[in-house]
Amino acid sequence: MKFQRFASALTLATALGSLAIAQDDGIDLDELFADDFEEQSTVSINDPLEPLNRAIFHFNDDVYKKLAKPLARTYAKIMPDRVERGISNAFVNIKFPSRFVSNVLQGRFGQASKETGKFVLNTTVGLGGVLRPSDNYENLQTTNEDIGQAFGRWGMGHGFYLVIPFMGPTSLRDVVGDYADDAVEPLKTPWSQVDDDTLRLSLRVLEITNKMPALMELYDSMRRSSIDPYSSVRDAYAQRRARDVSK
Amino acid sequence: MNLKTLLSSLAVLFISSVSLPHLHAEARPERMLEETIAEVLDILHADDQAIPAEAKRTKILTLLNERFSFDIIIRRALGRNWNALSDKQQTEITNLISDLLIRAYTKELQNGPKPNIAIVRTEDLGSNKIEIVTSVRYKSNFVSVSYRLANVKGRGWQVYDVLIEGVSMVSNYRKQFDEHFQTKSAADLLEVLQRKLES
Repeated sequence: MKFQRFASALTLATALGSLAIAQDDGIDLDELFADDFEEQSTVSINDPLEPLNRAIFHFNDDVYKKLAKPLARTYAKIMPDRVERGISNAFVNIKFPSRFVSNVLQGRFGQASKETGKFVLNTTVGLGGVLRPSDNYENLQTTNEDIGQAFGRWGMGHGFYLVIPFMGPTSLRDVVGDYADDAVEPLKTPWSQVDDDTLRLSLRVLEITNKMPALMELYDSMRRSSIDPYSSVRDAYAQRRARDVSK
Repeated sequence: MNLKTLLSSLAVLFISSVSLPHLHAEARPERMLEETIAEVLDILHADDQAIPAEAKRTKILTLLNERFSFDIIIRRALGRNWNALSDKQQTEITNLISDLLIRAYTKELQNGPKPNIAIVRTEDLGSNKIEIVTSVRYKSNFVSVSYRLANVKGRGWQVYDVLIEGVSMVSNYRKQFDEHFQTKSAADLLEVLQRKLES
């Protein structure tokens, strides 16, 4: 409680202290709290399956805490950062078809052509996508696209929010988008270029495990600071997808 | 508020008016932000292991309140629910969430390597508002963190929202508070916050 008493003293001091610095050309403090202060409207997502989604969210959270997190921690300790980055680069590179298709579906032909240039350069000079020589070229910088974003750009709403066991948050629109992404990507079913089921599953596990350490700390901080982790994650998903679509 | 708290407020006010040169009101916001982040990281990663975590958090809150104004961020997050709270509840909730946020975002950082922060660009949002976009490199990952600042009369540049990977902290909390207040009370919120801090 000592910390909170200090925080309370500090809040008062900050308010009083503000009187000391005259700043005539700024906005009034009250404007910050007006309903129309933000330029953009807040995003939301329908959640008619909330009770079921919440149950799956708690199940996923348990899997995350008891299995995925310890596994990812061990993986991050063993795997040198450079190797981790190289693996991540290769998986991102191989998803080129879905980025290309998404750009075409949005009529962004310039971006689709940049994606192609980037893919060719990273696959050849970048040794199969492990390295990213494209980072050195201003005109090869692109935004990360997927087919769900193309649907969003067409004006399609999320439909409703879904939490998938072991996978996490998504929406009806994005599930359909993910299926279309998988269909054009070479590693995923239904038209995978990898015939061996075990190898395909191993690659999927490697991709997820390799991605985990990057997201873990952010997710943990978010969970710790939230009032209701379920609501917080759902809103973060809606905000992030809205940003992806608008880019 | 008791006499002891009032006296400590006045002491903090005195110290901050001495240590904060008025130049800060005119300094470039990017510079102020960069300095604040660097100072917070210095406190977190201070070599002296004898400094207890609570003392570090108190120091960080002092620094952040100079420019981040948790009261602004939290009042904005509470939105229309703010006016339904008593003065005492407003203060308590502001303090508890400040504490919760600092604990949540410093826990991993204080035991890990120092992150690298680079200011990517500043966007003018118009009407005395700007967004400073930064890229945080932590271990081998990059996270985009943007700070929205408003030039407030009497306070200078104040951070009114923080966006982590494009997710607005104010909007995220507002959604949670709105849902909470649909079925529960301010007393319940205080209880949830206390419980989270104790866990």
